[in-house]
Amino acid sequence: MAFDQGRGIAHFLLTRSPLGLLVRWVAEVRASVHIKLLFAFFFITLLIIITGMLSLYAVFTMDRQSRLLNQAHEQVNWSRQLQHSLAMQMNFTALAMLQKQEAAIQKILRENNRFNSIIARIEETAPSDEHAVIQRIHTIQDETMTMVADIADQIRDGKLNEAMTLELGKGYSLYLQIGELVDQIVKTETGKMENRRRSLDAFNHRALIFMSSIIMASILLALLLGFVISWSFLLPIMQAHRFLSHVTEGDFSTTITVPNRDELGALADHMNRMSRELDRLYKDQEQAARDLQLVNRKLELASQAKSEFLANMSHELRTPMNAILGFVELILDKIYGNFPPKLEEPLTDIQTNGKHLIRLINDVLDLSKIEAGRMELSLDEYVVQDVVDSVRDALHSLAQQKGLGFIATVQEGIPLAYGDAKRITQCLINLTGNALKFTKEGQVEIRVEREGETLIYSVTDTGIGISPDKVQTIFEGFRQGDATITRDFGGTGLGLIITKTFIEMHGGRIWVKSESGKGSTFFFSIPLRAHVGVAA
Amino acid sequence: MTGKTVLCVEDNAFNRKIVRDLLATTSYRLIEASDGEMGVATALRETPDLILIDIQMPKLNGLEATRMLRADSKTAHIPIIVITSFALSGDEKKAMDAGASAYIAKPYSPRELLAQIHKLLPEA
Repeated sequence: MAFDQGRGIAHFLLTRSPLGLLVRWVAEVRASVHIKLLFAFFFITLLIIITGMLSLYAVFTMDRQSRLLNQAHEQVNWSRQLQHSLAMQMNFTALAMLQKQEAAIQKILRENNRFNSIIARIEETAPSDEHAVIQRIHTIQDETMTMVADIADQIRDGKLNEAMTLELGKGYSLYLQIGELVDQIVKTETGKMENRRRSLDAFNHRALIFMSSIIMASILLALLLGFVISWSFLLPIMQAHRFLSHVTEGDFSTTITVPNRDELGALADHMNRMSRELDRLYKDQEQAARDLQLVNRKLELASQAKSEFLANMSHELRTPMNAILGFVELILDKIYGNFPPKLEEPLTDIQTNGKHLIRLINDVLDLSKIEAGRMELSLDEYVVQDVVDSVRDALHSLAQQKGLGFIATVQEGIPLAYGDAKRITQCLINLTGNALKFTKEGQVEIRVEREGETLIYSVTDTGIGISPDKVQTIFEGFRQGDATITRDFGGTGLGLIITKTFIEMHGGRIWVKSESGKGSTFFFSIPLRAHVGVAA
Repeated sequence: MTGKTVLCVEDNAFNRKIVRDLLATTSYRLIEASDGEMGVATALRETPDLILIDIQMPKLNGLEATRMLRADSKTAHIPIIVITSFALSGDEKKAMDAGASAYIAKPYSPRELLAQIHKLLPEA
């Protein structure tokens, strides 16, 4: 949230203030991000250095000023002491006259010495304009000292009156003169000190304002620089972010425009190139998909044409076959009257082979449909017994011709079943036809049993059987491109594949138990009630 | 001899001949048409007692012809046997949906065809 708020402020600043232009200008500077960042850090460092130096200068200046103030203060102090010492001299002189003692006289001299040393000190540091006054103090002081020496001698000699006269007459006026001069010095020094203090105060005030301004300006400059530099990098990054979101959503037509002439600008150029390339690839792919769709459509049409062709061919082939088989049957049924008995066998051969040809045609058509995935079941209610009966009707003459036993047993009580009766019949005819074909003697037996919801059909023969290595591939040989099955079984390979497909479309399975030389049993199981037909 | 009339609509002359030769041994009177359009026209004109029609024919196929005959009050009641193709799954259903009374798959046995005709239209 705070981030968004910050962004809001930044957005405001970027769009409503000259900062936006500045950011743009920085972005347009032809320099690498590295150089720009170095410059920014260097500039801020420079600001810190300048601020630090100015602070040091102010501190030094203040120190000097306060030292001068201290000096002035000392001068004032000394001049006060001078005042004090003068007073003490006068005081001790009066005291010596009263006490008339040598010790008191010595005190005057001592105080006198102190006065001299103080004045010497003041003189040392005093500016030249004060030297005249100090010189006068010296002169008067020397005169005073001479006078004090006289007074001391007179006191020692006991000439108190004279001493008194001297003191009151000359001494006092000398002291007054010195006092005046000393007062003048005190006044001067005090005045100087006050000036110094005032100027120091003023300097402090100025320094405070100056330093605050410098620091404020530095902070503002640093912030400004930070803002400009960071947004000159952030803006293209945000644009790149938006750009990439578009690309991620699959919109390859967007481009990114940034004013930057640095690495970010180069990055934006790369992104635009990437986007163009993606757009091109996407369009190519779309075109390819359209082409593919067109090809698919063509293939679909071709496949449809093929199916229609097959359907037509089926009928076209069937029509002459119908005539051939029809006429043969009419002849055999003696519709045209009697025929020479020795023609019966070849006529029957024509009929048998004609029926075989029709079955082959049907198988090839069925297989084409299965391969094309267009085979569909036509589901309906049926009676299992009817299926077995039609198989028996179709094949009993063949069994009879070969002298084979032909038994068909349907378990009693099987309810009405549901499935494609015609296809199931076809499957059973295929298996039974094969069984009859490969059995030379013995019998062929069809059985149908119910196990719960499953019907199990089986066809058992006493024929040549199948070797174990062929059992596995017998239902798939043709599909795997192995033509040997077709050769070995004389074309019936097709029938087994078709049978397997129909059974699986019913949701069932087919398997075989066989022993070479002893015969085979083909089984298939299908649900009593098939579900919706599964496309092959 | 004024037997019952059977109309055979079939584009193949040999197959028409089979029907002709087959019915020659019976009391049925045969009239023939060689395409769907002609078949419908003949049926409306002659109102036969039974119609035998091939499912695949030029101009008008057997299913459409059957539908048209069923839609017309003059021919709506006439039994129609449609000759279908075994390999094309669903032909039988289409034939029955179009209004056929029965169907027989090509190649058919003339014997079976006659049995079908007898079932729908007894000779006597």
